[in-house]
Amino acid sequence: MSLTERLEAYLSRIWSTPVAVSDLSRIPGGASRETYRFNARADGETRPLILRRDPPGSLIETDRNLEYLAFESFHGALPVPRPVAMEPGGAELERPFFIMERVDGGAAASPFTVLPYGDHARAIGEQFFRILGTIAGADPTNLPLAKKAERPEPDDCWRIALEHWTKVIEDDQQHPQPIVWAAIRALRRRPPPPAQAVRVVHGDYRTGNFLHDGAGKILAILDWEMVHLGDPLEDLGWAMDPLWGHFEADKVGGMLPREEALALWREASGLQVDETALAWWSLFNAVKGQAIWTSAAKEYRDGGFKDPVLAISGWYTARRHDQILAEALMRMEGLS
Amino acid sequence: MTPSVSDILVGNFLCMAEPGPPEQQGEFMAGKVGVVALLSLLAAQEAERGAAARVTENAAIREILAEAALDYGLQGGWPADPVELTIGGLDRVNAALRLALISLHEAVEKRGDTVRHASILQLYAQMAELRRLDLPPLPGR
Repeated sequence: MSLTERLEAYLSRIWSTPVAVSDLSRIPGGASRETYRFNARADGETRPLILRRDPPGSLIETDRNLEYLAFESFHGALPVPRPVAMEPGGAELERPFFIMERVDGGAAASPFTVLPYGDHARAIGEQFFRILGTIAGADPTNLPLAKKAERPEPDDCWRIALEHWTKVIEDDQQHPQPIVWAAIRALRRRPPPPAQAVRVVHGDYRTGNFLHDGAGKILAILDWEMVHLGDPLEDLGWAMDPLWGHFEADKVGGMLPREEALALWREASGLQVDETALAWWSLFNAVKGQAIWTSAAKEYRDGGFKDPVLAISGWYTARRHDQILAEALMRMEGLS
Repeated sequence: MTPSVSDILVGNFLCMAEPGPPEQQGEFMAGKVGVVALLSLLAAQEAERGAAARVTENAAIREILAEAALDYGLQGGWPADPVELTIGGLDRVNAALRLALISLHEAVEKRGDTVRHASILQLYAQMAELRRLDLPPLPGR
């Protein structure tokens, strides 16, 4: 049974009407979900949709319930696609998946390119950090996400995050990594202050994880698979990690000078940026990145070396994050 | 470090050798070809520099371990590089040396030995630089 036929069977069942699926095609990029675009025609109406399906081997183990609820939480308030259906058991598609409405006419930048936003970098950057500030400013209490997401105490956010990603490295590392272990010990020795508020953390908020129209407008914030509640500075540190800088040292995310980005975030979130705390979360995010790349390398090997996205993640990005970590550790000790 | 350059090149062959289903042609295949091309370019750098980087790193780790041996009661006997300088052989030695380095660094931190701590951090910077892969300036769209 083809994937098209499986989708038709599933949608026909849940919509209680015959559904014809057409133009199914996989979208490149990403290793934590297989992403497909397709059209579903039912009762004379055609709906442009996206399927996000778990691959046989996933880059990161994530909770698709939370991902779906994140779309529910922010659709309508922010440029976030409307979720349509979710099946953690896989149903007719045999692997867990969810379906959302498709946003056409947009492009996602590859993080490995230079000047991906051209003359619109400032406009995109302003929206990018305002949207992140809006996510950080939202009280999660009444959001759909709060139904499933665990809410840590403010002084536990750092510990939970660090222990989670440390365990990923412990479980998946195939070659000793002294640099990341030194960073983990440094983070444990100098914990950050408690979170000023426990908020929604997108978990992978960065250049490349949103669609833009090529004319300076962000159309959709995507890739919520690592969403959780925690310290909102976690997202800020990830968004500003040098890995996502598009080779522009004077701009975060290749979009805006750091201070301007922070000012926009502060204004939109109503929160403050404690530089000591942000330094901790920045180093943490390089550890988190290294954990993800460590898993990618393991999945690449376990999957028979067939997914080149896992290869680039487990190889190039891992080495780049070793550089970032080594530089951060030197700065921390006043050695550079 | 994983994957090795030979893993990458074998993977490039394997991922292109099997034809995918119809929904994985077109844009997806174009993206896959682009990633494979990038991996091949980086593999060329690794083929050129990889063995020398490992020899240099292994020597630097041995040196820092030897220098600290007396103060920290290290037993010595760290593995030498293989006669045939293959990436795989060098990586096996590197894994043993890195484990010894991690243990030494933990002991250094516990003792508050700031001089050796700084030396090890400088070694980490050197190690990361030795393993650096350089992306070409790919244009955005």
